Amino acid sequence: MRVALAEDGALFREGLLMLLKAAGHEIVGAVAGGDELYALLATEQADVAILDIRMPPEPDGGLTTAERLRAVHPEMGLLFLSHYAESHYLMRILQIGTDGIGYRLKEKVGSVEVLTDTLDRIAAGEIVIEPVLAKRLVERPRGNKKDAVSTLSEREIDVLRLMAEGRSNNGIAGQLFVTPKAVEKHIANIFSKLGLHTDASEHHRRVLAVLTYLRSQRGVG
Amino acid sequence: MGLGADRWRRRIRLERQLHDGASLRISALSLRLGLLRPDDDRFERAVGELQDELHAVLDELRAVANEIYPALLDEAGLGAALRELVDQAGMRATVRADEERFGAAVEGAAYFTVRDCLLAAADSAVHPGPVEVTVRRDGADLVLSLRGVTACHAEHVHDHARPLGGSVLVAAHGSATESTPVDGRTITVRIPCE
Repeated sequence: MRVALAEDGALFREGLLMLLKAAGHEIVGAVAGGDELYALLATEQADVAILDIRMPPEPDGGLTTAERLRAVHPEMGLLFLSHYAESHYLMRILQIGTDGIGYRLKEKVGSVEVLTDTLDRIAAGEIVIEPVLAKRLVERPRGNKKDAVSTLSEREIDVLRLMAEGRSNNGIAGQLFVTPKAVEKHIANIFSKLGLHTDASEHHRRVLAVLTYLRSQRGVG
Repeated sequence: MGLGADRWRRRIRLERQLHDGASLRISALSLRLGLLRPDDDRFERAVGELQDELHAVLDELRAVANEIYPALLDEAGLGAALRELVDQAGMRATVRADEERFGAAVEGAAYFTVRDCLLAAADSAVHPGPVEVTVRRDGADLVLSLRGVTACHAEHVHDHARPLGGSVLVAAHGSATESTPVDGRTITVRIPCE
């Protein structure tokens, strides 16, 4: 896979480069800021761009650069790395895009297997969310009884949580030790309970389900 | 207790947290790395365990960093930082705040005021219900209101707001009585910006 990297911390950038090389990826460029990455990708092609969230242009150059990149290279995957797993940034990332996008903690991509799995899933168009964040968002109990999400069964919440992590139906089935058919049934129930219409595409509804879910967890009033 | 005592207690707590947490873990990691032999058949598992241990160190350092000044507060302001706090700690609270900025000192004081109150409320056995936090600007002041807390939480508010010339009002069902300990209701803090 062709990967471009923007990270202002030289030590972490070098470490990540070594890991990317060890995983057999082709590095089209490694730079220290968003503007440099944007300039680099005007001439080089990448399957996935990896961006530190907190880098120049300050304060969150990774996000502003990604917006610009998504506009000119909509097919290129984006992986955000950060020292913090925060819902605030997740919301902003989901506003940039809901496919081929990922948000992970820097230290959690610390092995060839995890890094490659993350990049593969993003290149395949999935959303990859740091599990601790997806879990936190799903498990948070809220008082709002009217909330559509609270009508979901425990198993349906499990499925939705894994959807929020960007897992495919087969991936969810594997995690929950059930058949993909059972997962499809749960997802159909989730869509219907959340009132998502059948005329939208499957992928679109998945994203809407996850967003509904995430919003319900934010307690925005 | 004199003004500012709370700040020094906080510093001492942070120092202990660094010493007993991250520092000790890193010392132990150093020892375990020294024992690692590539020909050991448990090599890969040992590397995985050391990485897990490093992740725990990072979590502790993040916790300390958040105690000093949350990065999100600096970057995105009170609304974002307070919502994140409520989210991560699973607190029963709602936050109303727009994107207005008030400067690092005032935002820091307001953030830790709310945090300490919410933590105290979460610990309290007789806590009545969800807390409503509202942040708004009124002229040159930041006005912070905490609805649904108990009057004893005003102590935390004083610690953070007083050094900045802030005033604190404890009200029961709309009838305000300055620093009269009435149980349950609304604490309003007014901090001048500049």
